[in-house]
Amino acid sequence: MSAAVLNQDLLEAAVGRLAADGLTDLRERALVRFGETGFPSVREENWRYTNLAAAVELSNAYLSDAPGAISATNVDISQLNDDIDAHWIVISSGVADPDALAALQDDGIVITPLSESNDSDQVCIDDPLSSFNAALLHDGLRVRVAENARIEKPIGFLLQDDAAATAGLSQTRIVVDLGRNASASFIELHRSGGDSAHFANSVVQMELDAGASANFVRIQERSTKHMQIGRLQARLQENTTFNFTTIDVGGKLIRNDVAVTIEGAHAVANVCGVYLADGNQHIDNHILLDHRVGPAVSMQDYRGIVGGRARCIFNGKALVREGADGTDAEQSNRNLLLSDTAEIDTKPELEIFADDVKCAHGTTVGQLDKKELFYLRSRGLSHEQARILLTRAFAGHILKKLPIENAKKYIDQLIERKLDQLTGDTDQ
Amino acid sequence: MSIMLEIENLQASIDDTPILRGLSLKVGAGEVHAIMGPNGSGKSTLAQVIAGHEDYRVTDGSVLFDGENLLDLAPEERARKGIFLGFQYPVEIPGVNNAYLLKAAVNARRTYQGQDEIDAFEFLKLAREKMSLLDMDPGFLNRGVNEGFSGGEKKRNEILQMALLEPRLAILDETDSGLDIDALKAVAKGVNALRDPQRSIVLVTHYQRLLDYIVPDYVHVLSKGRIVRSGDKSLALELEARGYDWVQEAVSA
Repeated sequence: MSAAVLNQDLLEAAVGRLAADGLTDLRERALVRFGETGFPSVREENWRYTNLAAAVELSNAYLSDAPGAISATNVDISQLNDDIDAHWIVISSGVADPDALAALQDDGIVITPLSESNDSDQVCIDDPLSSFNAALLHDGLRVRVAENARIEKPIGFLLQDDAAATAGLSQTRIVVDLGRNASASFIELHRSGGDSAHFANSVVQMELDAGASANFVRIQERSTKHMQIGRLQARLQENTTFNFTTIDVGGKLIRNDVAVTIEGAHAVANVCGVYLADGNQHIDNHILLDHRVGPAVSMQDYRGIVGGRARCIFNGKALVREGADGTDAEQSNRNLLLSDTAEIDTKPELEIFADDVKCAHGTTVGQLDKKELFYLRSRGLSHEQARILLTRAFAGHILKKLPIENAKKYIDQLIERKLDQLTGDTDQ
Repeated sequence: MSIMLEIENLQASIDDTPILRGLSLKVGAGEVHAIMGPNGSGKSTLAQVIAGHEDYRVTDGSVLFDGENLLDLAPEERARKGIFLGFQYPVEIPGVNNAYLLKAAVNARRTYQGQDEIDAFEFLKLAREKMSLLDMDPGFLNRGVNEGFSGGEKKRNEILQMALLEPRLAILDETDSGLDIDALKAVAKGVNALRDPQRSIVLVTHYQRLLDYIVPDYVHVLSKGRIVRSGDKSLALELEARGYDWVQEAVSA
């Protein structure tokens, strides 16, 4: 199959239709940058498992008739407010509901549309998906947490791309700065507003100044007709803590890139994930932990439960640069395969150029432990009961470390529902 | 006295290696039997086969429990009928809450017996009561099953499960191994508290020491997959004094 290529003329025309605003210059630069690279192909090592041909095709179709303007969609979030207590901001095709921004009053936090923030040079366009994203931005969000501010209630971003209204393609950009010693928690929730084919491309940038700490939980429960590429990049200065957990249960083709750069000593980065896939789902998690300075600690801990004909990929890399002494980098990826037709590709990588480092990695792909099953059955639990209990416990390892308490119950239930689906499937 | 467990010419193998080679044993209701023998004689295999471990293949013989063929039953069915295996090496199951498992186990048994499920309050009360008997910290209830438990704690947890499940037949596989004297006494106390005319206990052990605290009615010596000698508790003392070579030589002679 020849690789699909994005039609640059269509892209240029679509970018040209967007109204002139504070992002115009950024879009122009991004357009040029994207033109130099195009979409990554499976010939690139980092993309060898994830073929974007369908996403490119959808993009071309969308771009030929892309609207010049999009207004914020009205989404009822009363149920969501009950489910997860957070300051929810609905973002539809990258455009946030202005009322939600106005309503968000918390000492120490300011959220504005990206087009009004006057610092579009902060918007990263360094990789193909980020430049594609920036070129087509209708708008984005700029979040600033003031020095020493402690934001107790999580900030929630609901990325609900309404496929009925804006079929095809959406770009979301959120740029977050946490000032010195600031702390805040963020939830990014991906949902589908409709069931038409859709390709969502989101980029979140986080800057943690010295002493800051951030919790970030990403929950992806899109329809199985949606494709989504999500990038999260964080830069950590000294004495910062970044706790990230990603939960993937939905989507047709999902690719998550998490890139954390440690630029200050005594930074701590915990990057965790759970992915549950069945049917023909494809979920690809790529993580890059770039240790530029030591001492610092990073942990990558991902677990997957995969059934049906689903395919999941874990590619976690810890890069310890020269001079980053005192680095402690750990990686773990464990997977449960629930069917013969499911596939896992797990690839932990360590690249070490410093002398004094402690690095460890371990991966497993397998079935439930027979000894554990027998133990539970010998206590009277049915094989089915034992299997479900052990499967839940397997995912529970990550969930018990979830950094945002408010999201815990919702995620537990989400996982539970997906596991019911997954463990039910294997009986057939 | 009614026979609870009746094993006749039992032959079982793992990975085509025969371990049990024609073992016969009868255990009456209310009796305590000790099965002793050197390493590799088949003691643990016997315990696992009775509990229904699927890695062992029974090639001949029969095992009847209350006159019913046990070998056709799944492990959980055996458990619900009242068979309990105290594991030599209880497995750690991180993420599965100990209280949850205990309650699920009690309810599996209850449902089978046509009783209502135990409610949370009643269960907690019962669990605390049994834990105090075994000198166990109630905090164990909220931990993962055997997760990070010391060897002694794991064995106490097995006895706690037994105490809650009130089995009709308990097989305790080297419950004494790796225990210090205090833990051994606590475990023995738990086992002795369960002695009952309707309940049978099979103690699988390598050492005589346990039998000072749980006095058996019968002692059997296992060698190469068969019972080669049976007697009362004095047989255990004789074994302790003369060693296993003595019975093995006696058999070969």
